[in-house]
Amino acid sequence: MNNLVDVAIEYGPTLLGGLKVSLTLTILSLALGLPIGLLFSFGVTAKNKAFRYISVFFVEVGRGAPALVLLQLMYYGLPNANITLSSMASACLALTWTTAAYSAELIRGGMQSVPSGEIEGSHALGMSYRDCLRFVVIPQGLRIALPSLMGFAVLLFQATSLAYSVAVPELMSQAYSIGSSTFQYLPVFIVAGLLYAAISIPATWLSVGAERLLSRHL
Amino acid sequence: MEQLMIELNPQTTQPVVQVKNLAKAYGSNVVLRDVSLSVAEGSVTAMIGPSGAGKSTVLRCMNLLEQPDSGEIVIDGHCINAGKKTSPKSLAALRRSAGMVFQHFNLFPHMTVLRNVSLPQERVLGCSREQANEKSMELLKRMGLADKADQYPSRCSGGQQQRIAIARALALGPRVMLFDEPTSALDPEVGVEVLEVMKELASTGMTMVVVTHEMAFAENVADELVVMADGGIIEKGHPGQILKDPQHERTRRFLRAVLER
Repeated sequence: MNNLVDVAIEYGPTLLGGLKVSLTLTILSLALGLPIGLLFSFGVTAKNKAFRYISVFFVEVGRGAPALVLLQLMYYGLPNANITLSSMASACLALTWTTAAYSAELIRGGMQSVPSGEIEGSHALGMSYRDCLRFVVIPQGLRIALPSLMGFAVLLFQATSLAYSVAVPELMSQAYSIGSSTFQYLPVFIVAGLLYAAISIPATWLSVGAERLLSRHL
Repeated sequence: MEQLMIELNPQTTQPVVQVKNLAKAYGSNVVLRDVSLSVAEGSVTAMIGPSGAGKSTVLRCMNLLEQPDSGEIVIDGHCINAGKKTSPKSLAALRRSAGMVFQHFNLFPHMTVLRNVSLPQERVLGCSREQANEKSMELLKRMGLADKADQYPSRCSGGQQQRIAIARALALGPRVMLFDEPTSALDPEVGVEVLEVMKELASTGMTMVVVTHEMAFAENVADELVVMADGGIIEKGHPGQILKDPQHERTRRFLRAVLER
């Protein structure tokens, strides 16, 4: 126990620095991945074949391939094609892909659960297809998808720990390097785990609250 | 007023709605065969018939929520031919002249009652927010719902929601109102509120086509009764006459079933 407190005090700043990198990676991947996901959510059901095929490719590969494979592909694989990215950039690219792929399906599911009667209602009123999307389908679809998107964000935050394998100095890799230089693996991983939980658990509460708030009129 | 309506003869006044030789099939399942119908200005047409007869499909073809396979639809001079491709512009014009009220209201649950009524005016007619809200409040007052303006639809009863839907459709100034079983999802007591509003609307001279199972409404309010069965119109004419003395065997059977329960 004493050991745990000592480790926490001594290596706290390093671990918190790693946590900051983890959070940055999460936020960047969400900021880039969610808009692309929204685009793909239209793409996978689009009439335009090129748009549809490209969307389906990225969504299916992004969901089918483990995030670890995508990470390694971007960092170790792309240099073979003469594209060399920094560890942070390649991790960000891989997790953006994962985010876009999963969120596309979550958003599409949300949009499809908007009752067709409301869409008919807006057509019968003479509202254009675009207005129907803008005022009826997207606001409600995103509202329906938001709790699961927030759940996904928590999973993504935890998945950033995989970025230690491509030398991103995030929380997991900081913990690992402290462990390997001090052999205090047990306390340092416990502290790292607690730090992950300290973010994930309140974020989950937040998503439950958001769900309640948003579904109040539906 | 009612007396006056009955005297208006569909043949002598310019029809607001004309449906000519409408046909539709889903694969080999024929839902409409050669349906022709004309609705005079200011008249109320009630459509009755067993379920699956195609009443709702005719109504939904009128504003092209369903695409007919063949036939022609003219509403307030806007003509749509099933064979030809419809431009979005003429489709919008047609839909603007026809207000539709659905069985399940189809309000937008994420908007307040006032927004539900105002948004289409802003988007379709290009009204300003103030103009739209003013018109909406006037209509909500007429529907007896002025106090519900800031509520969300889920906080309103079924009858109130249906009246909101009627206000939303009326706000666009339609030439004809299409009602698709407006009281079928309501319990009888609440349905009366909606029927009262519809009666009031009819008395102001609004042209209406009503698909309904409410026989009393069909008899007392409608000027023209259309009986449908198996995708076609089997009988049409003055409601009192048809209800008293149906000519067709299928009509007799249907009326026995609805009136003697």
